Amino acid sequence: MSDGKGRVTLRGIDKHFGAFHALKGIDLDIAPQEFFALLGPSGSGKSTTLRVIAGLETPDAGTMTVDGVDVTYAEPGERNVAMVFQNYALYPHMTVEQNIGFPLRMDGVPKARIPELAREAASKVKIDHLMQRRPGQLSGGQQQRCALARAIVRKPRLFLLDEPLSNLDAQLRLETRVELKRLHRSLDVTTIYVTHDQEEAMTIADRMAVFLDGDIVQVGTPDDVFNRPDNLAVAAFIGSPPMNLLPARFEDGAAIIAGERLALPPRSAPVPAEVVLGIRPSHVRIADTGIPAKVVLSENLGESMLINAEVEGVPVKVRLSEMRPIAEGATIRLAFDGGHVHLFDPQTRRRIA
Amino acid sequence: MARNPHQAARLRRGIVLYAVVGLLLFVWAFPIFWAVVVSLKSETEVLAYPPNIIFEPTVRNYRDALVGGFSILPSFATSFIISGLTTVLTIMLAVPCAYAFARLRLRGKKALGFYTLVTQMVPPVGLVIPYFLILNRVGWLDTYQGMVVVYLTFSLPFAIWLMVSYMEDIPCEMEEAAFLDKANRFQALWHVVLPQVRGGIAVTVIFVFLNAWNEFLFAVQLGGNDVRPVTVAMYNFVSVEQTLWAKLSAAALIAMLPMIIIGFAAQRQIVKGLTVGAVKGGGRR
Ligand SMILES: Nc1ncnc2c1ncn2[C@@H]1O[C@H](COP(=O)(O)OP(=O)(O)O)[C@@H](O)[C@H]1O
Ligand SMILES: [Mg+2]
Repeated sequence: MSDGKGRVTLRGIDKHFGAFHALKGIDLDIAPQEFFALLGPSGSGKSTTLRVIAGLETPDAGTMTVDGVDVTYAEPGERNVAMVFQNYALYPHMTVEQNIGFPLRMDGVPKARIPELAREAASKVKIDHLMQRRPGQLSGGQQQRCALARAIVRKPRLFLLDEPLSNLDAQLRLETRVELKRLHRSLDVTTIYVTHDQEEAMTIADRMAVFLDGDIVQVGTPDDVFNRPDNLAVAAFIGSPPMNLLPARFEDGAAIIAGERLALPPRSAPVPAEVVLGIRPSHVRIADTGIPAKVVLSENLGESMLINAEVEGVPVKVRLSEMRPIAEGATIRLAFDGGHVHLFDPQTRRRIA
Repeated sequence: MARNPHQAARLRRGIVLYAVVGLLLFVWAFPIFWAVVVSLKSETEVLAYPPNIIFEPTVRNYRDALVGGFSILPSFATSFIISGLTTVLTIMLAVPCAYAFARLRLRGKKALGFYTLVTQMVPPVGLVIPYFLILNRVGWLDTYQGMVVVYLTFSLPFAIWLMVSYMEDIPCEMEEAAFLDKANRFQALWHVVLPQVRGGIAVTVIFVFLNAWNEFLFAVQLGGNDVRPVTVAMYNFVSVEQTLWAKLSAAALIAMLPMIIIGFAAQRQIVKGLTVGAVKGGGRR
């Protein structure tokens, strides 16, 4: 039962597959009832982390606790976690009812009670009219719901989802995203959600961890990660397209790029002379004066234009809300919105607050 | 008749297809057909040359083969016991072994897999003498346990090899899902894996039973008067002076019967089992 519990702590989780270092000392603190996303590109170790949490992989080093109890080496069945696999892993020889009822059956729930409880779980995800079908007779969306129902039927302490929406078409993905969020509210179970889709993570998660090459590069709310990226790695990954990153000099509270001075709000930390300046494409404007840039390509994105330009050979993207055609090869002037400029230390690669 | 060139072409293709299938079927079925014909003739009629197309059919050969002095019925029972025991033991051992091969990270798994295949490549005739000597030493010549153990040495590697390919086709996540739901390994095997490889088990059962039933070389050397399978018993109709072709044919056809019945009964399972493996490239990764 969910009784205000489900606090997950990972400390220094390390995992090798042969010579390949898949997880490089993962630390995580996930609060009870939180909707927590693991976000990162493919192969960054999200699924492996989830499988360590589920007990399907044993870490080479490190510990994991749930509500203060060390479960690092506990069997999957002892952890009271439910998981929705990316391929759903439904049992093809069982009906929907038998699939959803399987965890109850293994848990020793009396046989007579199982159909009713299975139907209850199925109705939460609106597939209770399909109880006698087999997975092969369901659409992709229905299969996904069946996997969800099988996961929630047992009222687990942790709810793990590995890219649950990635096999759905775009329309269904948006709908299901909203429903997942609602389901999480009604269940009140700590939910850990793996995705490579940043928009998905941004919209659905309370907090998230950004994975890169087996490391967590930032943990925070979607707002933190988007608006206050901790380091260059996150800055270069989050946003589509991600933030522009330009080498610059810093003098007297201003950044100097291509000979142009850009006054910046003061920082609380000391700023080195050489910095990397970060700014999102939507915070760059085309102006009469400013940093000179050469247009390489202008893309029509429907609701906006994306101008691909170069400042001293460094690519810079500009998002324009008005549809203004700009000739390729033209030289334009760019103005950066100073309040939205981030500075990074190229040595430590961290953001300067 | 064909009304347009397209239909005509299709008709031609159909005719060619049926002709080829018919020819293959004829080549395959003719010996059986001939055995049926011979089994219905008298022993003198069999020797007539050229063979008579018209003759008076008789069921005496069947009567003699079943209840005559050389009745094959006792050996029929022997064959059933040997083949049945071999099949049951093979499946009981091969299923867990194949599961281990398919799923567990075992030391020396590759070597074991290779050994399994090698056993299928060794010419059986080279093993007759060693097996004879071993069984003789153990005192298991002409015993059921002797025959079954020898048959297991062939059927088990074959069955494991076949079952592994079926089990590897089942995604690991399915079992992992079961583990998360508090199933232990045995329950995962029982509830999740086995129901999905039923077709594969059926195919394995049939092949193992069939091989044991049809086996002759080892049966004739390692069996004897007490344990004499039907393949050996049929040879009672062959002696130095003469071969009783008609009775031999009748006996052979009776011996074939269980196979034919099994084949018909499990036709769907067999085809499904064979094609599942085939479509997925045999399932071996
Ligand atoms: N069982 C395994 N054996 C070998 N390599 C693996 C195994 N599982 C994962 N890996 C590797 O570890 C890396 C991280 O995998 P994974 O956690 O699945 O990434 P993702 O972030 O895409 O979910 C990948 O490079 C993958 O190839
Ligand atoms: Mg993954």
